[in-house]
Amino acid sequence: MNRRIFLTLGMSAFAVSLLPVNLKAMNFRDSKPKVWSATKVDQAMIELFGTSDAIESNMKIKAPDIAENGAVIPVTVSTKLNASKVAIFQDANPESTVAVFSVPENGIIDYSVRIKLGQTGTVTVVALADGKLYKASKLVKVTIGGCGG
Amino acid sequence: MAKKTRIKAKLKKGIITVKAMAKHSMLGHQEAKKAKKDVNFITYMTATVNDKLVYEVSTSQFLSKNPYIKFKFKGAQKGDKVIISWVDLKGTTQTSIGKIK
Repeated sequence: MNRRIFLTLGMSAFAVSLLPVNLKAMNFRDSKPKVWSATKVDQAMIELFGTSDAIESNMKIKAPDIAENGAVIPVTVSTKLNASKVAIFQDANPESTVAVFSVPENGIIDYSVRIKLGQTGTVTVVALADGKLYKASKLVKVTIGGCGG
Repeated sequence: MAKKTRIKAKLKKGIITVKAMAKHSMLGHQEAKKAKKDVNFITYMTATVNDKLVYEVSTSQFLSKNPYIKFKFKGAQKGDKVIISWVDLKGTTQTSIGKIK
């Protein structure tokens, strides 16, 4: 019995050692917890980047004009900027922040994710490059019932 | 616990494209209430190749169920291993390995 307990302990210790924390990485959930409870895009941007002033250029966002299913909306963000952070926000759900990417050295900014929207809303992507913010946004219409509109 | 993350990585002209799909129910606050289950979603995901970070994202409850991600990076060879790990709100972690083709 004791041996079994010992083995289980060993297993869980091994699992902990695999945690991504020891990779010198940044988890924005721990470092900036307020970002995730912000209810407005501007507010979330201020929490994350310190300002909400962004230039509307150099960013590309790809999302459908009309989504028949609000639970699965493919969003692609890409830019040629040498950005260090990229974030996705929307204004249809109770909280604004969807995802925050931090771009590693060899990363190319061309990220695709699938997000949920509770209703029609604007998806905004923001990138931080050379101390400046760049953004792009797109309106996604969510139709429930799937008949378009 | 759940099934492993599916990983596909392909090398083309020096750029590696990785497509991955994690198995997770991603229950947001509203959905969890409806389903009478606990709120739980992936909060943090990373990918490494040769001990180097190539992808890092902090996520919220608004990613779709079984989140699918796609990203690109440079500087790896064929046969290198892509290691993707995530952690969710309850502290569950999962690590999956895929090979670059």
